[in-house]
Amino acid sequence: MRGSVILKWLLLVWLAGVILAAFFYVHPAEGFKGESSRIVFFHVPMAWIAVLAFLISCIASVMYLRRRDPKDDIRASVSAGLGLLFAVLATVTGSVFAKIMWGAYWNWDPRQTSITILLLIYAAYLALRGAVADPERRAALAAVYAILAFVTVPFLVFVVPRIYWSLHPDTIINTRGTNEFDSRYTQVLMASLAGFTGLYIWLYTLGCRIEAIRHRRRQEVL
Amino acid sequence: MWRLLAEALAVAAKDLRTEFRTRVALNSLGLFAVTVLAAVSYTVGPYRIATEDRPFLLAVLMWIVIFFAALAGLDRSFVKEEESHTAPLLRLAASPLAVWLGKLLFNLLLIYLLLAILVPLFCILMGYHVLMVGQFVLILALGGYALAVTTTIVAAIIARALTRGALFSVLSLPLLLPLLIFLIQGTAATADGSLEVIQSTVRAVVSMGGIMTIVSVALFPAVWSD
Repeated sequence: MRGSVILKWLLLVWLAGVILAAFFYVHPAEGFKGESSRIVFFHVPMAWIAVLAFLISCIASVMYLRRRDPKDDIRASVSAGLGLLFAVLATVTGSVFAKIMWGAYWNWDPRQTSITILLLIYAAYLALRGAVADPERRAALAAVYAILAFVTVPFLVFVVPRIYWSLHPDTIINTRGTNEFDSRYTQVLMASLAGFTGLYIWLYTLGCRIEAIRHRRRQEVL
Repeated sequence: MWRLLAEALAVAAKDLRTEFRTRVALNSLGLFAVTVLAAVSYTVGPYRIATEDRPFLLAVLMWIVIFFAALAGLDRSFVKEEESHTAPLLRLAASPLAVWLGKLLFNLLLIYLLLAILVPLFCILMGYHVLMVGQFVLILALGGYALAVTTTIVAAIIARALTRGALFSVLSLPLLLPLLIFLIQGTAATADGSLEVIQSTVRAVVSMGGIMTIVSVALFPAVWSD
């Protein structure tokens, strides 16, 4: 128990450090308007977590279909809920950046289209969970839908922006294989990615514990 | 293998026979498509859109009519089994894979029937002039398959949920949107004649349909049997 408290404080200090570094350690990058490049340190981790949460949810869904363990269903649903939250945050930070750089909050760039569809998928997944009464059937159907959605996401993230023209700066997996940012940028971005991943893990374990307690309570009532 | 095919054909034939008794899916697909087409043709018509915008905007309109018509009727294949309580019997009578294949064949037939009636009508009413007819038909055929395979598995999922009608569109559209984007771009390219876009569209649609087929085969038993 003490170990987890120390870890929690360490995570909070780390995230505070990342925020300070993002605003004071790094100089504004060339080719970006004014201070707008600093949002990268928050936008990229949000988008990363949105995709990571989706991946975890999908893995938990596969595990559920194989083992039929209710815990896997809890993992999948908690991760999907967090993924929705982070996808919303990624959309908001992205459109703030879009307003400064391209002049409009929203212009249906392929990247913006793909994050919108990711949001729709998360929402549809949660809607499906709400529409099935029987817990076991709900878990199985939701797991199948999560996997179906997971196979369409690569098309959105990789195929659509490749085929059709996009304004979005190259992603981490860029086509030329070069990194345009200087080393301070890379340091802070990596630190921020690590910090937000830690935050996700913390929220995820908390969510799973809460849901496990709820699950046990329901069974006691029955 | 042959047994599976025979079973699947039997399921599809049974679906066709019951469909022609009530014609619920046919009516909802066909009437939806014709009504929307009439509305589009009346309000937009062939000459409202500037010549340079025509290939793209008419492709958008055409695929939106097709997708929404498909969403109006393709869930019947599984929903009717649950509503008439025939699903348990079907579970006993045929293997899950045969049921899936049979329902896919039935949906495929409905989609192609819809395309065969709607698309020529759309081209005539809206004055849609396609340069590469062969590629246009190829994109329609591949798109129809990807649409059918995706909606079949989603229909199987929503048939087992409580609120079926609304849920079908809500669950299908996010999965279908990338397909819709590809098909619109590809169809627009057949009307203004850019081969490169057609090729990348065909690649994307074929891989999408293929992946959906594999995932459906792997996951359908988990949806179908408790």
